[in-house]
Parts: sequence; C-alpha cells; structure tokens
Amino acid sequence: MTSPLIRAQQAAAEADAALAELFQTQYAAMHRLAVLLGADDAEDIVAEAFYQLYRRWKKLRGADKAVPYLRSVVCNLTRMRLRHLQVVRKHTTPETAPEPGTSAEAEALLHDDQRALVAALKELPSRQREALVLRHWLGLREAEIAEAMGISPGAVKSHTSRGMAALTRVLEERR
Amino acid sequence: MRSTEDRLRETLGALAAGIEAAPPAYKRARAEWRRRERRRRLVLAVLVAIVFALADLIGLWALNQTRDHDPIIFDDRSRIHQTEPATGVIPP
Repeated sequence: MTSPLIRAQQAAAEADAALAELFQTQYAAMHRLAVLLGADDAEDIVAEAFYQLYRRWKKLRGADKAVPYLRSVVCNLTRMRLRHLQVVRKHTTPETAPEPGTSAEAEALLHDDQRALVAALKELPSRQREALVLRHWLGLREAEIAEAMGISPGAVKSHTSRGMAALTRVLEERR
Repeated sequence: MRSTEDRLRETLGALAAGIEAAPPAYKRARAEWRRRERRRRLVLAVLVAIVFALADLIGLWALNQTRDHDPIIFDDRSRIHQTEPATGVIPP
C-alpha cells in the first residue's frame, strides 16, 4: 500500500514526463501554426501556450486533450496579438507601424503564385484565416476546428467557405 | 487545373516547411514555468492579504466612529419608544 505522498510524487513525475514528451513533439508544430496564423512573435506565443498547459495540466480531462488545448491557446493568443497590432497600427504612422507575422525566410522559397496566395491569406479576417489554416494545413475536422477556435461547427463552415471564396477571387484576378 | 484548396494546401505546406522551429531545452522551459507559477501565487497571496487587511481596517474604523453604548449590529430602540398603533382591536 502506497502513501498519499508517494502517490502524489508519482503523479507529478508522470505529468512531468508527459509534458516533456509533448514539449519535444509538439513545439515545432505549434510554432509553425502560430507563424501560419500570422503571429509576429510565435516563440512567445508558444512559450505562453505551454505555460498555460503546465498550469492547467491537472484540470485536463485526459492526456489526449493536451494537444487540442495547446492548439486552442495558440489560436486565441495569436488572435489577441493580431488585434493588438491592429490597434497599434491605427495609432502610429505607417513607417513605424509593426507588420503582422511575415516569415520572410520561409516566404523566400515560395513561387510567385504561392506568395500571392500567402498575401491574400494575410488580408483575410483572422477567424477565416484560422479556419483555413486548421482545415487545410493541419487537416482537422470541423468539430476539431470548432473546439480549437471556440465557435460552433456551423460558424467554422461559414468562415471556411467565405475565406476560400475570397482566396479564389484574388487568384482569378491575378490571371 | 488545380483547385484553390489544393493550391492553398501546397502553399501552406511549403511555407511551414521553411519555418525553422527547434524546441528550446525542456529543463530551462520548465524552470521558467515554475518561476512564473511561484510569482503568480505570491502576487495572489499578497493581493488577498491586502484586501483582508483593508476590510479589517475599514471595520475597525467603523467601530471606532460609533458612540459608547450605541448598539452597532442591531438597533431596536426606536421600536421600544414607539407607541402601539391604534388599530381598534382590543386584546381580550
């Protein structure tokens, strides 16, 4: 029979091991997700997301809920950051205004068409952009996207179709 | 002719592949989380202590403002000196 103290230590060690594994396996994916969503400080956002996961680890309904929770935090923090940048841009001169996430090194490897598509993606409202990235980069289902974005599956469908229509329009205008 | 969805998928894949994202050392990250958590709890404890101390001080000040022998919690003296209303009903 084990004492409550030993059981608590074992639970803490298990949680630490699970967090360490998640950190190693999910850090890069979350960083890429933040950049694709338009974050200019993706590293800070991912660090904050992992800290939130560390804080709420005991409240998670299971270890399999950790990755959806991380995705949801990254989406929320990126949306907040983009809103903050919009406010800053409104109150500063165009020369000094910060640009939203421009992964210049990553974009350098793209073709012209792809660059145009990325530029069009950046112009979309943040909800539409999130829905498109989660659907077409991560390949998530509507229910999973709804969970990550904190909206209903119907709203996900609406954001995805509107975003896709806007991108199609931009690509057709380029031809 | 490829659809917009295919092109978007390909573009996002290419863009993501170009992003370098090596995770920092886990031990350092965990030490930072623990430091932040300690600080958060300390700030919370200080705030609770401040609110508690303020409530105490306000209570003591309120008690100090009253005259001696004045009831503070429940004052029923007004009813003692009040005459009974004339209802016309005579008790048996």
